[in-house]
Amino acid sequence: MPAAIADPAAIDVADLESQLRALNANAAARSSSQGRSGIDWRLAIDTSNDAFVSVDASGVIHEWNARAEALFGWPRQEVLGRRLSETIFPEQASRGGGLQQITRAGHEGKRLEVIARRRDGRELPAEVSMSMMQRGGAIMFNAFIHDISARRELQAQLAHGQKLESIGQLSAGIAHEINTPTQYVGDNTRFVRDALADVFGVLDAYATLADLVRGGGDARQALPALDRAIEAADLGYLTGELTDAVDQSLEGIERVASIVRAMKEFSHPGSATKTPTNLGDAIAATITVATNEWKYVASVETDFDPAMPLVPCLPGDFNQVILNIIVNAAHAIGEKLGRGGEKGLISVSTRVEQAWAVVRIADTGTGIPEEVLTRIFDPFYTTKDVGVGTGQGLAISRSVIVDKHGGTLDVESQVGEGAIFTIRLPIGSETHSGAAL
Amino acid sequence: MTRVLFVDDEPNVLAGLRRMLRNRRAEWDMAFAEGGDAALAMMHEQPFDVVVSDMRMPGMDGAELLGRVQAGWPDTVRLVLSGQSDHELTLRAVGPAQQYLAKPCDPELLYGTIMKTCGVRSRLDTAPIRELVGEIGWFPSLPETYVELVAEMNSPGASIQGASNIISRDIGMSAKVLQLINSSFFGLPVHVDSVEHAASLLGLNVLRPLVLSSEVFRQFDDAQLGGFPLFAFTDHSLCAAMLARRIATLQGASAEVVDNALLAGLLHDVGQVVLAKALPTQYAGVCDRARAGEGPLHELEREAFGASHADVGGYLLSLWGLPIDIVEAVTLHHEPAAGGGDGFSPLTAVHAAEPLVVPENESVPELAELDGEYLARVGCQAKVADWRACWQHPVGDTCPLGV
Repeated sequence: MPAAIADPAAIDVADLESQLRALNANAAARSSSQGRSGIDWRLAIDTSNDAFVSVDASGVIHEWNARAEALFGWPRQEVLGRRLSETIFPEQASRGGGLQQITRAGHEGKRLEVIARRRDGRELPAEVSMSMMQRGGAIMFNAFIHDISARRELQAQLAHGQKLESIGQLSAGIAHEINTPTQYVGDNTRFVRDALADVFGVLDAYATLADLVRGGGDARQALPALDRAIEAADLGYLTGELTDAVDQSLEGIERVASIVRAMKEFSHPGSATKTPTNLGDAIAATITVATNEWKYVASVETDFDPAMPLVPCLPGDFNQVILNIIVNAAHAIGEKLGRGGEKGLISVSTRVEQAWAVVRIADTGTGIPEEVLTRIFDPFYTTKDVGVGTGQGLAISRSVIVDKHGGTLDVESQVGEGAIFTIRLPIGSETHSGAAL
Repeated sequence: MTRVLFVDDEPNVLAGLRRMLRNRRAEWDMAFAEGGDAALAMMHEQPFDVVVSDMRMPGMDGAELLGRVQAGWPDTVRLVLSGQSDHELTLRAVGPAQQYLAKPCDPELLYGTIMKTCGVRSRLDTAPIRELVGEIGWFPSLPETYVELVAEMNSPGASIQGASNIISRDIGMSAKVLQLINSSFFGLPVHVDSVEHAASLLGLNVLRPLVLSSEVFRQFDDAQLGGFPLFAFTDHSLCAAMLARRIATLQGASAEVVDNALLAGLLHDVGQVVLAKALPTQYAGVCDRARAGEGPLHELEREAFGASHADVGGYLLSLWGLPIDIVEAVTLHHEPAAGGGDGFSPLTAVHAAEPLVVPENESVPELAELDGEYLARVGCQAKVADWRACWQHPVGDTCPLGV
């Protein structure tokens, strides 16, 4: 039976078989209970709030309830006998008739978010929960498909709001990071302008001296004027200061330039599809953009795995996640420092671990108490003062990593010692790319 | 020589300032500190006349540093030079800092601000009084007005118009709002035509934390002010403001003079609050003597403290960076002849307006007579009858400024 499935990689065969054995074992009990209750299962399925679809191992649709008709715009009579790939999962035409879109949900009864397509071509974000049964020696895959477009809409709004919130916070910090060098570049440049006027005065005096010598005159006559010019210009002071003024100005301009470059890298006008991304570069840019958030309380150390390949991800969203975690780390360290004490440390590393790109962000902040750890990824959960945050940052970060990238986001912490956030992204994302939004 | 201390956590900023200001070394004795602790150590060694501090620094930030300078050396002028564009953070310094400059700062503005504050400082030669003024971070507000403003700020439908209106009815809040708006920090200098205008330029996002969480707006406590009649004072100030504006309008003065006459009228007696707050018992005694007819209040104040409420108010407002016209009008409203001008100015308007405020309240009596010689000099002597004729004390508690 599994041989009928075109892309075995998408389905864990052993897992399916074990589930089937369980189904068979309970089959008898179930059929008898059906008899006693006398429920009309056909009607029950048809009146369900979710679309119900039953397909065989080649993706051909065998059952289709009323809600599915309404949701996808395909009448039952037209859709029966067609494959999923011809109807609601057209992008997966080449593989298993579109079946893997729902069989991916088979593990541990978990729900999977997918993008389905309506008959009129519009996309429909949906959540699939799949179960299997045996009918006449063939496996049937039954799926309830729940319309989550309203939820997605809300999530998108929340994510947008959170992004705006952090951009608002960032822009104040970025302005500070630009205003400071601008102050001293301006001061130094004015100094250089004034100093050059004095230096030119000295050069003029030398020119007079040279003219005198060329004309065969007594060079000593020009010396007092030259000495006066040198003294007025304070040449000894200028020599060292001019070099420093120019060096520091160049340093300041480089600081402004690097933050502008990082902003460009960071903002990544939200590409909706995954792009092979150099995670190290993306993280470095995010750290630079957030400089003003951490520099007063911590230093940042990075350790990027040189063997890290380009990882398919949504760079704008990924950067947002890194930003959220770094800003949280800086807050945690700031809280621990209070108004004094040694700066803390934020260490960011990347590692390749089997098929995963692993990003670890560790801080030496206050740490996170047990009761907070369990709720830290809940939407609207915040321990910060009203007005400091909406409590959306980590909830959205989790959604970005787990739902959009098929990765994981975990946190471990010891109170008083700090916290470590670990992001895992699949490196070869081919089998995980379906749910990208 | 004026001693100026610059404080910044960024050595490059200090190096840049040191080079840029090197040609001022004949006038200023400058020092540079890389942080709050170093700055305080240098203050202990030999106090500076002016401290110019960055805002965000690791460890002790600018607000804390200036707060300590305020407590330890109140006579030192305190300026902020910050690259921070985040208003809320900088609002922490609203109490201790007298003026705010934004990075990058035009060198002329930096130089001019320091020179101006040092100039007014040298004119008020009573160091103890300067210290009293230096200690002022906030003004007492009328309890009713304060409560009303807090309620407005906490209401979900809070509007800037509503808040501005309430603020404009309180002298202390008005002064503070004008101080902020005259700082380059909150944007380019603009001409402000009223307190409402100033408040609306600040916006609710700045006003809300200012009112609710900073220590800047506070309601007064009778005992703290030695029985100073803050309510009557407010009434008197609002009426003087309204009358000064009306006089300037009758005079056909430019819009800027009219507006500054209004603001100067509003603030002309703030020095009284400073004295009442700092020296409640002594000041109550001086007020009693004035009420008993022993002499004009401002002369009795000079006798007792070495400075009058006009000197004190003018000094405070100049430290806070208010326009020079307003400062002059406040400082000289009892002695206009000491001013240099020979044309109509906000000073003329306030000088003429104040005694015309009908004293049907319990305010400290002002016995000042109009200075005929001065009015003749500025060509206004013939106008006094018209001014007097146009005025009637409005029935009710406070003057509606909108009239």
